[in-house]
Amino acid sequence: MYVMIGLSLLMAVGFLIAFVWSIRSGQQDDLITPGMRILLEEKEYKNNK
Amino acid sequence: MVELENPLIDTQTTCFHCGEICQDVVIKYEAKDFCCHGCEQVYQLLSDNSLGDYYTCDINPGKAPSKQNFDFLNHPHFRDQLISFSAKGISKVHFHLPAIHCRSCLYLLENLSRIEPSIVKSNLNFGKKELTLWFTEDKIDLGSIAGLLARLGYEPLIDSREEQGQQKQRISQQNQLFLKLGIAGFCAGNAMLFSFPEYLGIEAGNLKSLFGYINIVLGSIAVFYSGSDYFSNVWSHLKIRKLTIELPILLGILVGYLRSVYEVFSHTGAGYIDSVSGLLFFLLIGKWFQQKSFDFLSFERNYKAYFPLVISKFIQGKEQTCPLEEIEVGDHLIIRNQEIIPADAILCRGTSQMDYSFVTGESEYISLEPGNSMYAGGRHQGELIEIEIKKALNQSHLTQLWEQQAFKDPNHKTENWENFANKVGMYFTIILLNLAAVVGIYWFQHDPSKWQNAVVSVLVIACPCALAISYPFALGHGIRWMAKFNFFVKDIQAFERMSQVDTIVFDKTGTLTLHQDTKPTLQLVRDLSQSELNTIYTMVNQSTHPLSRQFAKYLREDFEVKSVDIESMQEIPGKGIESKSHGKIFQIGHARFTGHALVQQQDFIRSESQMFIRIGEERIGFIEFPWQNRAGVEYMLHALQANYEVYLLSGDKKNHAGTLLDWFPNENHYRFECSPMDKMEFIQNLQKKGKQVAMVGDGLNDAGALKQAQVGIAVSEDHLHFTPSCDAILQGKQLVQLPTFFKFAKFGLRLIKMSFVLSVVYNLFGLSYAIQGNLSPLIAAILMPVNSLSMLLIANVGMNWRGNRLKSYFKQAKGD
Repeated sequence: MYVMIGLSLLMAVGFLIAFVWSIRSGQQDDLITPGMRILLEEKEYKNNK
Repeated sequence: MVELENPLIDTQTTCFHCGEICQDVVIKYEAKDFCCHGCEQVYQLLSDNSLGDYYTCDINPGKAPSKQNFDFLNHPHFRDQLISFSAKGISKVHFHLPAIHCRSCLYLLENLSRIEPSIVKSNLNFGKKELTLWFTEDKIDLGSIAGLLARLGYEPLIDSREEQGQQKQRISQQNQLFLKLGIAGFCAGNAMLFSFPEYLGIEAGNLKSLFGYINIVLGSIAVFYSGSDYFSNVWSHLKIRKLTIELPILLGILVGYLRSVYEVFSHTGAGYIDSVSGLLFFLLIGKWFQQKSFDFLSFERNYKAYFPLVISKFIQGKEQTCPLEEIEVGDHLIIRNQEIIPADAILCRGTSQMDYSFVTGESEYISLEPGNSMYAGGRHQGELIEIEIKKALNQSHLTQLWEQQAFKDPNHKTENWENFANKVGMYFTIILLNLAAVVGIYWFQHDPSKWQNAVVSVLVIACPCALAISYPFALGHGIRWMAKFNFFVKDIQAFERMSQVDTIVFDKTGTLTLHQDTKPTLQLVRDLSQSELNTIYTMVNQSTHPLSRQFAKYLREDFEVKSVDIESMQEIPGKGIESKSHGKIFQIGHARFTGHALVQQQDFIRSESQMFIRIGEERIGFIEFPWQNRAGVEYMLHALQANYEVYLLSGDKKNHAGTLLDWFPNENHYRFECSPMDKMEFIQNLQKKGKQVAMVGDGLNDAGALKQAQVGIAVSEDHLHFTPSCDAILQGKQLVQLPTFFKFAKFGLRLIKMSFVLSVVYNLFGLSYAIQGNLSPLIAAILMPVNSLSMLLIANVGMNWRGNRLKSYFKQAKGD
């Protein structure tokens, strides 16, 4: 029982750390561009290479 | 030379690159039409580098290229400012590119390395319109990169150092709030989880106290880290003896938290940690939501942003470029056509037509001879001149405005202004504290075991979280909706001030009146022959002067003209254009240039918007481009008068106003020949009479008034254009919708007041339990989130409903 509680807390803290890290590393700075970037096609460049 | 073949004048061909209607000569390349060689070159450049996909992402994605020279960026001053990081020969630089608008831009800019191999990598932030480049500094310099971007149609906007600093500060604040929000959410969620046994009444034995301790840890993080802003804000307000809405909120949170700590450690209960951290979470969501910022706009520009970044200076007889900051008294500067005078100076060489319209609102140009003095901010028209600086940059006539109190005090508008929340907050706090005291004393006398519990419950349950939540959501939505119609409000405080406005002051030149969009009137002594028309058209079409451009456009639209061969063509800056055709000299330009008698001008005061025509010895007449009222302005003024007092301020002379004056009630409501300082004082006087003033203006001459007024609205033709420091930026076309925007702001505040009444009902319900001293944690845990959530719901649904109505209204307005 206590192990389970400890585990659940550990997981929660893990997510919290992931969240803090994502902000620190600037992942939330730009939420628009990546979505547009993925729609652009790259094929022409590869042919020329 | 002008190309003779010109077959496509009437059919409207659009440019393959930029989508503009090809004005004159259509350039054909690879079976595609282009409006100018610039666009064609961009196309060639892109297709040579196999970036042709640029044109497949969007239809006519390009912007006409600019030829601005960016070599000044190579000066060490700018290198330090722009390059953020440099190692192993690779440097990182940020450029702000306002022209970014579609997916094609993204495609092109992120593949810049294919065009210029010395650019290693490029990364675009679409929302901020900011491009980050990594490049090899040995192979290419900053000026060439900026030049390349400008050639592609993305002219970089170089921000001043202060603006960059402000932006950085804002971003770090945003990130910190986000972090606090996330952590509050984490604490609230987990605290609820650990309070579950308590909700359900399960006997958990030892676990109960363990859960209690875990909750205390979570609650401490939420209150002291996530809620830290409340502590500092309340403290700074108390120091100036001010009660704000934040005080009862903090009191509720703190009392709830301390009570919980006491209960857990004394094993008397489970506390309200879950409600407290949940409330904090909701409050922070609201704060985060209200922080809508328009990264691509600047509301804080001062005169420096209007000035050139570099100037040409004479140092020991040689011309050198140097940054603006390095100007000193006694320096000799070179000013070219269309450049701006950076500081008060004396004209040494050459003559000038000085255009002060942006600084003073005066629409007539002023002729200057050597020895005359000139003031900072004027735009020089004419030949190259040399000037000697007489006053330091920050002491000039123009910049004195920025030495006024309104500009120096950063809290000029926010601190001295009582908003609804703070007014309510003050009474709320007083009532709440009294109520808690009465309840405490009552129970202390009748049943001492209950007094603590009752006081705590009162403070926790009556916390005015509803206001704190419905406020940011309702107003945040308000800002977002307005932005959809090109009205950008700086923050929610400005939005709220908008709802209180009862007096609106307009600037004339550039705000209510416009040079563009008007049909000029032609006043001639005789009709012109077709070949004469063609010659005139060819001449004005080659000139870069704005009036020439409009003249050419007018001729194109109203006459059948075409470009012809002309023998010689000469543009004399500040005077006009001259050429020879069919053995006759054609002159178009200023009255003095063509030798028109000045007598003729007395009826036509607006001489600077006239172009005179002379063929041979014959003075034919002139074409006039009147400053005309913006379309729909009369209707708007009429509509506003029902609910507001309207005033007109202008730097111009009275006889320039024309029919506009009919729309103002009497002569106390307009004033002419105002200096920027006069305008500011005019607003101050209105405010002294207790008016809530909104100022609508456009140029630097309105900067003081915009700053002084409760709401300063800057009108801008496109938002890349310079706008002085203000509270809101409005697109010129939407000016006529001003009454609608004000109505919307009023609705927002009404909605908040309504939801406040509802939350008081909730609170009274909760209080009825709390006063009796038997508020169970379960009821507190249900009541508080329900209260917060219903506030959230009302704000969201209400504002979106009204916003959608606004949307259909605007659609209709467009259709008409």
